[in-house]
Amino acid sequence: MPQLFFAGLSVIVAGGLAALVPSRTPGRMERVFAALVAAGCVLVALAALRVLVGGDAWEVRVAASVPGGAWVFGIDALSAFFLVAIAGVGAAAAVYGATYLAAERSHGGVPFAHAAVAVLLVTLALVVTARAVVPFLLAWEVMAIANFLLVMFDHERADTRRSGIIYLVATHTATLTLIGMFAIWSASAHDLTFASLARAASTPAAGLGAVLVLALFGFGVKAGFVPLHFWLPGAHAAAPSHVSALMSGLVIKTGIYGLLRVIALAGGAPEWCGWTLLGLGVVSGVLGVVWALAQHDIKRLLAYHSVENIGIILIGMGVGALGTAYGLPAVAALGYAGAILHVLNHAVFKGLLFLGAGAVTRAAGTRRLDALGGLGRLMPMTWLAFLLGSVAIVGLPPLNGFVSEWMIVQALLGAGLGKGAIRAAVFGVAALGLIGGLALACFTKVNGVVFLGRARTAEAAAGREVGPGLFVPMLGLAAVCTLIGLLPAFVVRPALAAAEVVIGGDAGAHTVDPGTGAAWVGAAAAALIAFAAMGWVAYRVLMRDRSRVVAQTWGCAFSNPTPRMQYTATSFAAPVLEPFGAVAGLSVSHQGEEYRTHPRDPWLEGVILPAWRRLRAAVARAQELQLGRLHVSLLYVFATVVALLWYLASRQVP
Amino acid sequence: MSWSPLVAFGVTLLVAPALPGVATRTRSFLTGRRGPPVLQLYYEIAKLLRKRAVYSATTTWVFRAGPIVGLAAAVLSACLLPLDGRGALAGFPGDFVLFAGLLALGRFGLILAALDTGSSFEGMGASREAMVGAFAEAGLFLSFTALVMATGQPALTGMLGAPLAAGWSASLPALVMIGVSLFVLLLAEASRVPVDDPATHLELTMIHEVAVLDQSGPDLALVLYGSALRFTLLAALTALVLAPRGALAAPAALVALPMGLLVIAAVVGVVEATMARLRLNRVPQLLVATSALAAFAMILVLARS
Repeated sequence: MPQLFFAGLSVIVAGGLAALVPSRTPGRMERVFAALVAAGCVLVALAALRVLVGGDAWEVRVAASVPGGAWVFGIDALSAFFLVAIAGVGAAAAVYGATYLAAERSHGGVPFAHAAVAVLLVTLALVVTARAVVPFLLAWEVMAIANFLLVMFDHERADTRRSGIIYLVATHTATLTLIGMFAIWSASAHDLTFASLARAASTPAAGLGAVLVLALFGFGVKAGFVPLHFWLPGAHAAAPSHVSALMSGLVIKTGIYGLLRVIALAGGAPEWCGWTLLGLGVVSGVLGVVWALAQHDIKRLLAYHSVENIGIILIGMGVGALGTAYGLPAVAALGYAGAILHVLNHAVFKGLLFLGAGAVTRAAGTRRLDALGGLGRLMPMTWLAFLLGSVAIVGLPPLNGFVSEWMIVQALLGAGLGKGAIRAAVFGVAALGLIGGLALACFTKVNGVVFLGRARTAEAAAGREVGPGLFVPMLGLAAVCTLIGLLPAFVVRPALAAAEVVIGGDAGAHTVDPGTGAAWVGAAAAALIAFAAMGWVAYRVLMRDRSRVVAQTWGCAFSNPTPRMQYTATSFAAPVLEPFGAVAGLSVSHQGEEYRTHPRDPWLEGVILPAWRRLRAAVARAQELQLGRLHVSLLYVFATVVALLWYLASRQVP
Repeated sequence: MSWSPLVAFGVTLLVAPALPGVATRTRSFLTGRRGPPVLQLYYEIAKLLRKRAVYSATTTWVFRAGPIVGLAAAVLSACLLPLDGRGALAGFPGDFVLFAGLLALGRFGLILAALDTGSSFEGMGASREAMVGAFAEAGLFLSFTALVMATGQPALTGMLGAPLAAGWSASLPALVMIGVSLFVLLLAEASRVPVDDPATHLELTMIHEVAVLDQSGPDLALVLYGSALRFTLLAALTALVLAPRGALAAPAALVALPMGLLVIAAVVGVVEATMARLRLNRVPQLLVATSALAAFAMILVLARS
């Protein structure tokens, strides 16, 4: 129902405008903003769910006669799946943000930040529903700019400005590439609607190879897989936490959406594209988690985990593409569906983890892992939500991360049992195992160093639980993680329907039985929770009549332990990182008795920035042409016009 | 699928504490000592369950939940293995991911419980557990995947049950390689030589022992039983790969279960008696080599068909 969808968007816009209205009671308009955005998200989610539960997909022509073809918007299962993630995480982040930024009201930029969040959510929804090139690119660009403004919220800090500029350069390079991609593609198309592009793709010689390479680059920069991830950690860390949640959960997923939509419109990805996606996925997954382990800043660490999870999504997409290319519809359906489900799962648990990181930052005043500790006692709600998010992101049962990992593994196994070269894809399972093991090390590190043990600094010791405005959205997202883990069939079916859109036709999904396996996974999750609960009750009964002895932590006969003696994030990660050597990107400094490690991104610091500096030096030479005198500039204009006329005159008129 | 998987499940839970005893006893015998009784762990667990527990003032509920979650996960993963050689209590395509995930969840709980104490020693143990787990996971996934490729069965009941027994001799070299790599993973998961030494007395060199340093009383009993059960499950897995019992009659397969477990435990003892433990930073190399072995097994299987 288009009306419901556009009504939802209007309500979100109204919420954004409400945030700008000055009010004498501080916080009143922030509450109005949160309520309106949440209500708008509910409407958008309802419109999407209608399609997912079997309602008809729809398309509307909003502006029928404009240059560049009609503006078409529509929801099919693929759009709907992304919309559900956008609405769910968007509502949680907006509600959280209304309280979160209240502490910085003196800053002055707060109302604009809220309005930008509303714009970001609306453009996200438009990006995944646009069915024509012009509205897609417009929404894409406004989304990128709203996002840039939000990243620059703390623009007084130099590192924020640096991260913001890197993000801006990266996102515009991506947009430029996408314009090029659509230009090549639409050369043989009737107009600029996606339907025409799809028809043009089926006629040969449209340069589909070039289109796919440009799409991989343009959408890849947004998705942030290695080696295009260089802008991601800095921008995620610099933004306010609820914006980081939106970026990591939703904005980078538009890159994945773009790739899936291009594959759908192009009528399937060729073999090389599948292998490329799979390879990029393995590299991003492993390097992302290794670099995450090396981080000392909780938000940078979470940002690198986004690189890792995008890698997992790409593994699913890669095996899905291979499944189509090798004629294995079940593999294609499972691979794409696993990837699409992981998009939702990652949006939920990574959104949750960034919100948790924000709560920790508010409570203890720092993002430095080694300055925290013991916050679990002081912030029980935040800690519970963060712990559930951690279990989910590591891909452990009984939560949602496990479900999508299980689906992608099944797709890989199906590929291995197929015929021909596709069987080699089965080695992707090993990558998933390694990624899971390393992610476990990383998240035990975060939870242990931030929430367990004793506070390492006075600030951490003074941490207090955040208010319900912050922890309720977190617990809501944690509940979603649990529900998907317990009732996976309710998301596996829609994910398969969305995968059907990508594959085209209904070739794949019917060969997969989503019910039985998913029901078993849900039953196993329930059994696990039941076993643990029974164990807990039995333990309480056993210990009922015994007095509790509380003593100091056993220090192997050393009786006066201090918080400084605890293992730190650095020391915890050291043995895991050592085998990775230089790849881990750690540099070590000794100073007297002090030993420190400094994480650096080998790709950004070692390759991208030096290349950028060299480029800038080369361009600076060209700058000498620009003398700043009027008559020289006029001469340039004259020369250009003459050259253009010469070119037009020399072209033969058909 | 009648009573036999249930009996096998019960037998496994029952004999689990004997396995570390058998391994230690074999090691003692081979190194010229008598060693503790085989049933020592049963006594210890019984004694600990009757005692009170001492908790560090630093700890929270996580410290107590860790061992419980670990045990619950291990019991549930026991339901997934076809312990009687043919059928499991529960199974579905891709259930080995759940099996591996449950082992990982147990490790997750144990590591957090260790970090909950704020002790530098337990932090050390936790970090090393995480390291071993991180590098063992790929090998475990590869071994299971190679089994799937060898049998064409995506569920544990199939890849370890009758289909494996039927095609066993055809892919023997690959299966031996998988069996060896699972055995090394067993040594890592159960904290035995050459990865860890359960008999060491210096905390600085420990892995698992030092991570549970603060556990006492019934909590320690749960930890001990949980790790014995994980040892048993990986031993059962190794035994199923190296000597599938899918072709045996149900009673014979049931009798063979504890025998196989005890043999594997004895082999662990022999390894412990004949090998020194590795330097800690060599452990990842061993585990990567194990994964490579499993990968070669997979190449063999893929090349065959």
